[in-house]
Amino acid sequence: MATNNTKEATIRVQRYNPDVDKKPYFEEFKLDVGADTTILDALEEVKGEQDGTVTFRRSCRHAICGSCAMNVNGSNMLVCNRRVEEVLDGKGTVTIKPLPYLPIIKDLVIDRTSFWEQYLRIKPWLVPPDDIPEKEFRMSAEEVKALHDAEQCIMCGACYSACTVVGMGKTYIGPHALLKATLRVMDPRDSATDERLLEISGSDGAYRCHTIFNCIDACPKNLNPTEAIETLRMLAIKRSSFVEARKERQKTLNDPIKH
Amino acid sequence: MYKTTGFISFFLRRVSGMALVLYLLTHMLVIGSAQGGAESFDKMMGYVQSPVFKMLEVALLAAVIYHGIDGIRLLIIQAFKLTDKRKILFYTGLAISTILVLAGGIPMLVFALGEF
Repeated sequence: MATNNTKEATIRVQRYNPDVDKKPYFEEFKLDVGADTTILDALEEVKGEQDGTVTFRRSCRHAICGSCAMNVNGSNMLVCNRRVEEVLDGKGTVTIKPLPYLPIIKDLVIDRTSFWEQYLRIKPWLVPPDDIPEKEFRMSAEEVKALHDAEQCIMCGACYSACTVVGMGKTYIGPHALLKATLRVMDPRDSATDERLLEISGSDGAYRCHTIFNCIDACPKNLNPTEAIETLRMLAIKRSSFVEARKERQKTLNDPIKH
Repeated sequence: MYKTTGFISFFLRRVSGMALVLYLLTHMLVIGSAQGGAESFDKMMGYVQSPVFKMLEVALLAAVIYHGIDGIRLLIIQAFKLTDKRKILFYTGLAISTILVLAGGIPMLVFALGEF
């Protein structure tokens, strides 16, 4: 029963078990939520006290692992850092669905295979130059700042599953991979720039983005994959000169920075 | 489906783009009919002078204007890194498109209706 500090909320969860159900359906659970109750707390309560078969992913509860990305009232978000009160509609209901455009394994759990496959296309690891310094690479503050946005990405899949182009076909590389490609391409230590820019220049790469901006709207970390995609497009156009400039820069990576 | 202003703009851009392609094909068909002689061309022109086509001309105007203005909006956002202004620019583009379609479409309709 709702008290002075709590109110009754209806949690509307999309259920689907491909082994049993022909199509997804909604099930409603009523529970009391406080001002601090997160959507994940509410789901945990539903699972713990009302229906143990409700299935969802979660891990860190601190908005850093990216496991609990779901579609709440039509918007992708992490459910661990959003309070139920923020998302209740006028009737005191919140509708929770799995991330769109991806195959459902069960209830709110989606199959991320295509997400990771596309991510691997950009070779998401640093390929260092031949001349590795004894202590450390010396990068300027500007060079480090250019990597900031992409470094903050937690790979939750919110942008990928919000992307209409991904919805039209899983061959598109996706905003997550392109944002991470920027991280590597803009990194002066990286020696696989040419290879990465070639990969993203293909028909299923950066040029397939329709500039819909859903990735920006969906990102729970307020990152800007669209701008990263635009940067990659510009670099892909001048690939040869950029790669040459990178080689020159790497000759001075061991030098002290001049302030 | 993930519905945002970005999705609405993309949907309208696609629909207007398809409409322009259809127009181009129809235009080529009409002009191409001239190869069959004056009679064939006049017959085809008779069809396109019908009230239905007059109405479709207003739809064509709407498609041209929206498609063009949305394209300019995207160029502005990309060139000046204005992704944070994407929503206000979308609504501005939509408002400009509506005004231009009304300004062009109403006289077209008045002219067309005056003929019949």
